Amino acid sequence: MKILVLNCGSSSIKYKLFDMENHSVLAQGGIEKIGLKGSFLKLTLPNGQKVMLEGEILEHRIGIEYILGVLLSDKYGCIRSLEEIDAVGHRVVHGGEKFNKSVLITDEVIEMVKECIDLAPLHNPPNLKGINAIAEFMPKTPQVAVFDTAFHQTMPDYAYMYGLPYSLYEKYGIRRYGFHGTSHRYVSRRACEFLNVPYEEQRIITAHIGNGGSVTAIKNGKSIDTSMGMTPVEGLIMGTRSGDVDPGVITYIMDKEHLSSQGVSRLLNKFSGVLGISGVSSDMREIEAAIEQGNERAKLAMRMYNYRIKKYIGSYTAILGGLDILVFTGGVGENQTSTRSEVCKNMEYLGLELDEELNASVRAKEALISKSTSKVKVLVIPTNEELTIAHDTLEIVGWKIK
Amino acid sequence: MSELIIDSIEKYGLHITTQRKNKPLFSKIGVVGAGKEGRNIINLTASAGMDVVFMEESNERIEYVMGQLSKNMDTRIENWGLTQSEKRAILNRITPTLHYDDFKGCDLVIECTRYSETGRRSIPLRKNIFKKLEEVLEPDAIIATNGFTVIISELAAELIHKERCVSLYFPVSHPDARILEIVTGMYTSEEVCKKMEIFAKLIGYIPHRVNENNGNVSLRLMVPMLNEACEILLERVSSMKSIEETFTIIYGQRYGIFRLSDIIGIERLVVLMETMFNDYGDKKYKPNPILWKLYRSHQLGVRTRKGFYIYDEMERPIAENILF
Repeated sequence: MKILVLNCGSSSIKYKLFDMENHSVLAQGGIEKIGLKGSFLKLTLPNGQKVMLEGEILEHRIGIEYILGVLLSDKYGCIRSLEEIDAVGHRVVHGGEKFNKSVLITDEVIEMVKECIDLAPLHNPPNLKGINAIAEFMPKTPQVAVFDTAFHQTMPDYAYMYGLPYSLYEKYGIRRYGFHGTSHRYVSRRACEFLNVPYEEQRIITAHIGNGGSVTAIKNGKSIDTSMGMTPVEGLIMGTRSGDVDPGVITYIMDKEHLSSQGVSRLLNKFSGVLGISGVSSDMREIEAAIEQGNERAKLAMRMYNYRIKKYIGSYTAILGGLDILVFTGGVGENQTSTRSEVCKNMEYLGLELDEELNASVRAKEALISKSTSKVKVLVIPTNEELTIAHDTLEIVGWKIK
Repeated sequence: MSELIIDSIEKYGLHITTQRKNKPLFSKIGVVGAGKEGRNIINLTASAGMDVVFMEESNERIEYVMGQLSKNMDTRIENWGLTQSEKRAILNRITPTLHYDDFKGCDLVIECTRYSETGRRSIPLRKNIFKKLEEVLEPDAIIATNGFTVIISELAAELIHKERCVSLYFPVSHPDARILEIVTGMYTSEEVCKKMEIFAKLIGYIPHRVNENNGNVSLRLMVPMLNEACEILLERVSSMKSIEETFTIIYGQRYGIFRLSDIIGIERLVVLMETMFNDYGDKKYKPNPILWKLYRSHQLGVRTRKGFYIYDEMERPIAENILF
């Protein structure tokens, strides 16, 4: 049974083809710079060989066509016919309040996703393009939508509302939705399996930190708060996003710099965060290198990045009424030992003791990194959003295939 | 095995893409003349990932232009977080030249000859540029001019492949004015228009198709407003400050109309309005005496640091100019 997972971004498409019998990855890769100069499809063959296919890819539909073409090709492919793909799972960014779990894609679902475009004008349209392209090329293959926001639909209203006039919520659905739901769901569940404790009885904080990042408080298996809001700008300081900023500052900047709403959105999304503070890069590895060379602004960026994560962990511990498990995931959470160490410093008062040696040795693998005496278990769990999407897809269309 | 294999993607399409055998559009484009507007186009296109060749008249000019482009990016680095490495990558895509031959292989060349001090551009010179470009370019390469007056049909008339000519206007009022006016002349083909729409999207602009006319849409809307504003000023109905505030506050414009005129350049507006008045015969286009006064005294706006306002070296307005 083969399931293709697609993640269509505004100018990128990532794909993974799974064989669900043994969860093996048959093919994976991604297209970047769709509609821009220098677009390419990069894939990794099963033997680890990387291949880059360059050429003009003006739109998502053509990108998907190339992905399917490559999967079918003699040279780099692994299937003989598109019918071998039993189902396609899509990451859909914004499900608004309409979806609290993954669903089989029907015309009605497509209409509902369209209604969420206002909430995610950059993300939902490419998701829809991916869905439409698959419907065109593989009309008989069932498709499933897995929403980034669905896991957080269990947040209580007092957590998801903003302190703004209620009418704005009624008119435009302005509230906090949260993102990375698939990842938070996967790693929190996986952490409990790893520790062999019941998922429904734990107080968990998951820190999905990478170029984008969010922290989620999970009580008894349900998300009760998360750091991203209606858009992914809220919360942590990220690679290029500002995270929490006094809204008064934003109108002030708009006045001073003569920025339009678009301009200020670009500022907050693309030129802020670690990149904006350090002036060096949005990539934490480059920030670490700059720190080694004594770059003060890079140091500041790193401190702010770590500090904000710690602050969220503190406040989420308060709303959870204590903490049992802390999970680090995402590119930085899985690999950057210094950030994990900084975030967990001086937390013994709440029963969190990081094993520094163990922490320093763990990169991108499942591991417990707290001391055996630590009441709070600290774990690294590499996220696997694609596999989760594949699982959801299998679960939903399973009956159809068999 | 660790070496990255690099291949071309074209042969992996299913059916649509294999039918089209086009080379990637706008891999390399050219710009003739790198005044302020030319530099803006060079910057936009190179930032969007295109290789850009620009031509200037001397090595001194080339050095000046490269310096200005670099300075402009430094400002972006300071204000917006363009990174040093991105700047290097963008500058790497820009190639200066003194010869038409270096435009070979471009699928679009934009003529951007500078305006004279009187706000005019030589038509024989531009016609000559078009002809020279046609000699080195492939028949399907697009030849464009940058401007807002009726000219493209005239520039195209003497070429063999007239259908490839199109006029473009990149509004200069502020950095977020990202609409590209694609002006079609008598000969411009549908295919060329469609390609230019793709070009607009590649550089992050919204394409607007406009039929050849003086002032396009953007300046035709603006010019009568400017005349009326000058008239209100001349009749002493209100102060410059109040008129500007009417624009910014009541109508929500980013800048007042006088400030906007200074940014666009009084000389360009006067020449455009004069042409429009001659073409349409309508008094609403006739440049107001205040505009003539500024024009004749060479107070042309931001560029000369004096127009309706007086500007400092950072091009910030510091005071109103005394007009009467």
